[in-house]
Amino acid sequence: MKHSAEVQYKMELSPHVHSGITKDALMLKTFALMCVPAVAAVFAMGTGALVHIALAVGTSLVCHFLVYFAELHATGSTSYPTPASPLVAGMIVGLSMPIAAPYYATAAVAALTMLLFKWLQGRVFGRKYINPAAASKVLLLVTFTLLAGLSEGLLFHPHHLRLDMWTAAGFDRAISFYDGRVGLPAIESLILWKDHGWIGGASGLAVLAVGIGAVLWLKLKWRIVMSLMVVMGTLSVLMALITGGSLAGRLAFHLFTGSVIFMGFFMATEPQSTPLTEGGQYVFGAALGLGTFFLQQLNVLGGSILVLVALNLLTPQLDRIGMHRSYGHGGDR
Amino acid sequence: MARRDRYHFKEAGGFVVDATIKRGGEDAAFEIVPDPEVCVIFLKQHVGAPVQPLVGAGDTVVEGQKIGDSDEAMSVPVHAPVGGKVLRIVDAYHPVAGVPAPAVFIERSEDAALPVRLPAFEPGALDDTDRSELLAGVREAGIVGLGGAAFPAHVKLGMRDKVTRLVINAKESDPNVACDVRLKREKPADIVAGIQAMARLLGPNEIVFATRAEPGAFPELEARLARAGVTVAHIRPSYSVGSDKLLVKELFGLEVPCGSYPPDVGVVVHNVFTAYAVARALFAGEPLVSRGLTLISRQTGPLNLWVKVGTPLRHVLMHAGLDPTVYDRLAIASMLMGQSVPNPDVPTLKATAGICAFGPDEPSPYAKQLPCIRCGYCNLVCPVGIYPVLIMEAEKRGDVRRMKKLHAEDCIDCGLCSYVCPSAIKLTGHLRRAIRAVRQ
Repeated sequence: MKHSAEVQYKMELSPHVHSGITKDALMLKTFALMCVPAVAAVFAMGTGALVHIALAVGTSLVCHFLVYFAELHATGSTSYPTPASPLVAGMIVGLSMPIAAPYYATAAVAALTMLLFKWLQGRVFGRKYINPAAASKVLLLVTFTLLAGLSEGLLFHPHHLRLDMWTAAGFDRAISFYDGRVGLPAIESLILWKDHGWIGGASGLAVLAVGIGAVLWLKLKWRIVMSLMVVMGTLSVLMALITGGSLAGRLAFHLFTGSVIFMGFFMATEPQSTPLTEGGQYVFGAALGLGTFFLQQLNVLGGSILVLVALNLLTPQLDRIGMHRSYGHGGDR
Repeated sequence: MARRDRYHFKEAGGFVVDATIKRGGEDAAFEIVPDPEVCVIFLKQHVGAPVQPLVGAGDTVVEGQKIGDSDEAMSVPVHAPVGGKVLRIVDAYHPVAGVPAPAVFIERSEDAALPVRLPAFEPGALDDTDRSELLAGVREAGIVGLGGAAFPAHVKLGMRDKVTRLVINAKESDPNVACDVRLKREKPADIVAGIQAMARLLGPNEIVFATRAEPGAFPELEARLARAGVTVAHIRPSYSVGSDKLLVKELFGLEVPCGSYPPDVGVVVHNVFTAYAVARALFAGEPLVSRGLTLISRQTGPLNLWVKVGTPLRHVLMHAGLDPTVYDRLAIASMLMGQSVPNPDVPTLKATAGICAFGPDEPSPYAKQLPCIRCGYCNLVCPVGIYPVLIMEAEKRGDVRRMKKLHAEDCIDCGLCSYVCPSAIKLTGHLRRAIRAVRQ
């Protein structure tokens, strides 16, 4: 046996044990949950949805491995040791694309997400201030709009520009688009099953179910989703009352389109770019709801990501408000 | 995820602390570890002023002899755990302070004189005993809080004027410590006698024995507590509620204001081992020179050992049949809050309730820390409701004002934020630096 002087133990700060919760496990659970709306999308929207999703995930993985080997070669270490996070990023891109978007747009958004807004943003700022998938999509939308006009900027949904969301008749005409497309009346289609819009929103109900599952299982920032939904729901009711249109139609449209429900659960809760304080999360969600609603009214359907990116930039400020009271401090916050 | 049994402690945010490592520990009877050849007794093993040595190199001492003391009120003496000769008084690595501190090295002698004892009191005549004599007896025995805080026991027991409740913390919430449970099984009479002595000193309106054990788990102890008029509170299995301040909230719904202590809201909390030590000191005249602790390693599982204060860890490990040279890491006290030690020559202290030995096949789970993803799990689990990740960000920026605003100084160093971090970030290090920055 060695003498005492020869025995040196590794010195570590406490704690000395860990719960076993890992980032990879969280990512893989998120990916698994998102597979539900993905499968629903393929059934509702056809193989086109599958191609979009596969393209987005595949592009993300290719970009991941490019960065992985480049970093290893250059520095001997890598920012993303496993492909778990890129898998999630790819899936989010796939599900946040409109089914009518061209495949190259999906691949471009996935590549921008991985290389520019995920990897480079992290390297430069040490943290992701804006949601990578949302920022990539915004960049592409702005670029398309500047180069080819607003119809392309809306990712090939030019008919949106003809809608009138401020009157009951205009709104009814807008949602009548869904009427009978998948064998269901418009309202049921918006909630249950649709073949138009964001791929991730093909089944609003499926997203709602897995979203609630994610809140419980992964402890997502539920306050953001809740305040988003409450604001959207309240504004829908108000708009229905003011315009005299269908209340159920307003609620189904403003709450269950992919750009609201999928964005709300799986993009607006992205942890790095959203507030940590409870009050900050409520404000974030409420502002997101407000902005999204008015963009929808202005026919910028799917424009929720514009608001999301803008609010992401306000996260450091929102982290300064709405802190809960800590132990022993009465009510001094 | 939230499995509920005695070994899965439910925490805030729905997180769970896995304490299965100590499963079986309560069935492991205390083994007495033979005295080591050389004991190393630090002159400061408590919160407060250090003591001055009362012996010098070459002096002969007997077990129980006072070898260091101070005139300061916030201080307790230390005693020789073995009879023998003082080899030297030099600085040695202090496992809690993390820096060298003065220690008395005593070489055990086979032919040492019989141990010395303190004046003992009659348990049946407590009501007729002068309280100041009892209090002096507790101090003279060198008793500190044995749950880990090492606060001088006589100071807390002297707060009669402001205290209305006495709480005995027998929660045993550290995931690696089983010695408190074992003590409840083996020494119920001493525990209750100690509680009665504490009650005599404090004169509380209410005495609460807080345990996570189910009713009926310790029939003899429960019967004795009932006869002594002590209320048994069966608390939910939780790690964080082991903290004094959080236990006070759990039991009475009272919050201890920032910067204050439980006595400021009329509550004194003592660990069950402290109650035992008080009984042994007052009724058997035994100074605090030994205690029970739990040794955990993958090879042995949980072992309850009765060890002299100042016993080098090497000696404890070897008694358990472990080769100290094969381990990579050794930690004392709690797995979540305890300190690493640099080598096996570091001795146990009065407040050492646990030893954890990690082999080379058990590397630190924090070896590969990833960038923070701001999931907020640390905020959700924090039992005092601060925002560890925001404090970490402020600490990295050196923003002291923000750290103050975020109440960094309220951190109780429980380690839960690091424990649940998916990126395996040791937030505790940032929090400790933040506390230092705020206090400067």
